[in-house]
Amino acid sequence: MKFVLPAAFLACLCAAALATAQSARQSPQQTANQRAPLTNPAPAQTLAPAIQPGGPPAATPPTEDEANPALPLPSSAAQNLYAKAKADLLQIRMLLKNGRSQSTVGSGFMVGTSNLVLTNYHVVSQMALDPDVYIGEYVDTDGKRGPVELLAVDVLHDLAVVRINREGTGFFNLPEKLAKLTQGQYLYSLGNPLDLGFAISEGSYNGVITRSFYDQLMFTGPINSGMSGGPSVTVSGDVAGVNVSKRRDGELVSFLVPVRYAQELLKKVALQTAPPKDFNPLIGQQLLAHQKAMVDRLLDAPLATKMMGPYLVPVRESEQVRCWGRSNVKAEASFTADTISCSMESAIFVSESQQTGHMAMTHQYVRSASLDKIRFSVLATTLFKVDNLGSNKDTRLTGPSCTEQFVVTRSVPLRAVTCVRAYRKFAGLYNFTLMTATTDDAKASLQSRIDVSGVSYENGMRTTRAFLDTLGRGSRQ
Amino acid sequence: MTASYFVETLARNGDVLHRHQVGSLPIRLGRGYDNDFIVDDSHCAARHAIIESDPDGRLVLRDLGTRNGVVHQGKRKSSLVMSGDTVVRLGHTMLRVRAADFPVPDEQLDRTMHAWEGGMPGLVGMFLIGVFSVLTVWLNDTQSFQLIRYLQALAYGIAAGLVWGGAWAFANRLFGRHARLGRHLFIFGCGFAAVTVFKLLSSVVAYSFSFEAITRYGSHVAILLVAGMLYFHLSTVKPNNARKFAVTCCIIALLGSGLTLISNEQRSGRLGDELYMSVLLPPTMRVAGDHQVGEFMDKVGAMKARLDAERTRKVNDGAVDDDDDA
Repeated sequence: MKFVLPAAFLACLCAAALATAQSARQSPQQTANQRAPLTNPAPAQTLAPAIQPGGPPAATPPTEDEANPALPLPSSAAQNLYAKAKADLLQIRMLLKNGRSQSTVGSGFMVGTSNLVLTNYHVVSQMALDPDVYIGEYVDTDGKRGPVELLAVDVLHDLAVVRINREGTGFFNLPEKLAKLTQGQYLYSLGNPLDLGFAISEGSYNGVITRSFYDQLMFTGPINSGMSGGPSVTVSGDVAGVNVSKRRDGELVSFLVPVRYAQELLKKVALQTAPPKDFNPLIGQQLLAHQKAMVDRLLDAPLATKMMGPYLVPVRESEQVRCWGRSNVKAEASFTADTISCSMESAIFVSESQQTGHMAMTHQYVRSASLDKIRFSVLATTLFKVDNLGSNKDTRLTGPSCTEQFVVTRSVPLRAVTCVRAYRKFAGLYNFTLMTATTDDAKASLQSRIDVSGVSYENGMRTTRAFLDTLGRGSRQ
Repeated sequence: MTASYFVETLARNGDVLHRHQVGSLPIRLGRGYDNDFIVDDSHCAARHAIIESDPDGRLVLRDLGTRNGVVHQGKRKSSLVMSGDTVVRLGHTMLRVRAADFPVPDEQLDRTMHAWEGGMPGLVGMFLIGVFSVLTVWLNDTQSFQLIRYLQALAYGIAAGLVWGGAWAFANRLFGRHARLGRHLFIFGCGFAAVTVFKLLSSVVAYSFSFEAITRYGSHVAILLVAGMLYFHLSTVKPNNARKFAVTCCIIALLGSGLTLISNEQRSGRLGDELYMSVLLPPTMRVAGDHQVGEFMDKVGAMKARLDAERTRKVNDGAVDDDDDA
């Protein structure tokens, strides 16, 4: 007998998949990635005088060219500076070894009269991580090119030192005794923004920022990508910092690496006899040092607690770790969800696709008066499900390995899940994720999560344990 | 010698398409109107073959020198002995000849429940589909009550049931003799109910006893249930092929499970459907006891060796997911 079997034999499972997705767990978009306009495009009216040459200027808005004579003269300090700095300013490019096409570009500057160039680690990261695939090249303001040799990196402060085949004129000096900067003081930032050409921009120094784990200087002036690694100097030519980043959600809020870290790195270079062959173990060591400092600072005192409903939840609020609260007070839902999320505002850049040395925690307290126990369970289940913990196809990290159990802390029973991923390139570094859900109330659930990335196994366990030990049930205040 | 013979033309699956009684031998076969049995096949000759009795009393078919000939079991024959089960092909026509005294096998026992046909099982099937679609929506409904969501689920569920049941009824009409739509609806309703109940029950058991493997590999049981449902559909179409259908459905279940495992491995690198059990139920439903934080941390510590072995394993560079690209 001939018989054709229907292929859609799983069709009846479809109806079971009608589960409604809950978006309550998604983290808030606190920093909108709006990019401010990089240039001020000339208005359309600029062309008007060209069409009507004899027209009275008052009738049309002044063009930029016409307006300039009316404005004060451009800062002569900037003019002087750029003229003097020109010879020691470089663009640093990462090239693919095959085909020599550029992959990333940044800036750099020659230190004193040496053949050493300071730049950012993130400008040369590809060369440091994959020397078989990428090589570096410099281009100076005259368009001359030459090879660069990587000597040292400081991943934590985002600095690197490279050597090139010529010497500096001595304009950029890093004096042993640093000049004291005062707030509001003019600084001039140099570099090659967006690979458009060398540029100087003026801004002001606005103090030391402690929000990032390592001190950075706040520079209120334009820094664009491509200027990374370039110097920011005082009017007298003393280097104040190295351009590193800017806030995309702000206007002219840029950051510099303080020059004292660059001096420390240069001292290390002076001591080393030959550049390391492989930077990966070195970067691994620096990340290990960072995680130790990070976890020690996180756990130096018992974690603070906050009340969420009847539960005590651990938080850590400091200069580096900011917490944000949010609630789903909407008429539509039949449950209430309050969320506190705390996270470190900075992370360590390792490569374009990998940031580490970070910590984040989230507590979500969900309860419902109108839902029955069964449906509340389904809701809690949906919220407890997280799918984005990664797979084992990743070249940077192993797949997650998880442990789960019913656990009782000092005063509350929990369902606890810990997932760990190991770094493939850096031995001894792991990402830890702990997820917990309270199991003592049929109509309320406290779901917490802590993520620490780039920590040693011991410190990951320590953090997990501290977090679990602090979670509890407290008396209502 | 009995004087009555039956020439039967057969479909490829063995079903009799046409049966013709012939009073006496010889029987002339061919396209021409002077034959005893007229074969309406343009690949047959006007006088194609003749069936006679040989000295031993057996029926013998003889080719009358045609272009296409007489084919038995793929070989062309000029003449061959026709037992009651010998099927020959003339052109595109398959036929056999049986005498009136051909012994037929005993009647098969009728296991079909003839009372459970038509409207009643159909309604029960629809009722099950409706109840379980509404239940699924109700369980996941965390918004304020809106009737339309339930009505929609009901409509989609019933429509899916009718399409599925209708397709099987069509097959049933084609290969069996009756459509038996009610039966097929009932089977689908039961299958859907079984899968839903299994999902709920397995979640309860997994949570209660902390048996995480159930939620990780439970989908294979669901696949088995679906294969079981297919078995009942097939047996309804052809009631007498139980063993063959059972084997077919087992193979389908194995294929389904295999595909699930392979796609899990491709997608996430692990065989289970999920990384950890996300089911949370009310405290009263829990049987398994609590562990101390220390025990939990010991288990976390025990994962280190596995991770360290895993990290040096080479991965295929092309398969990197760019999920957290900056």
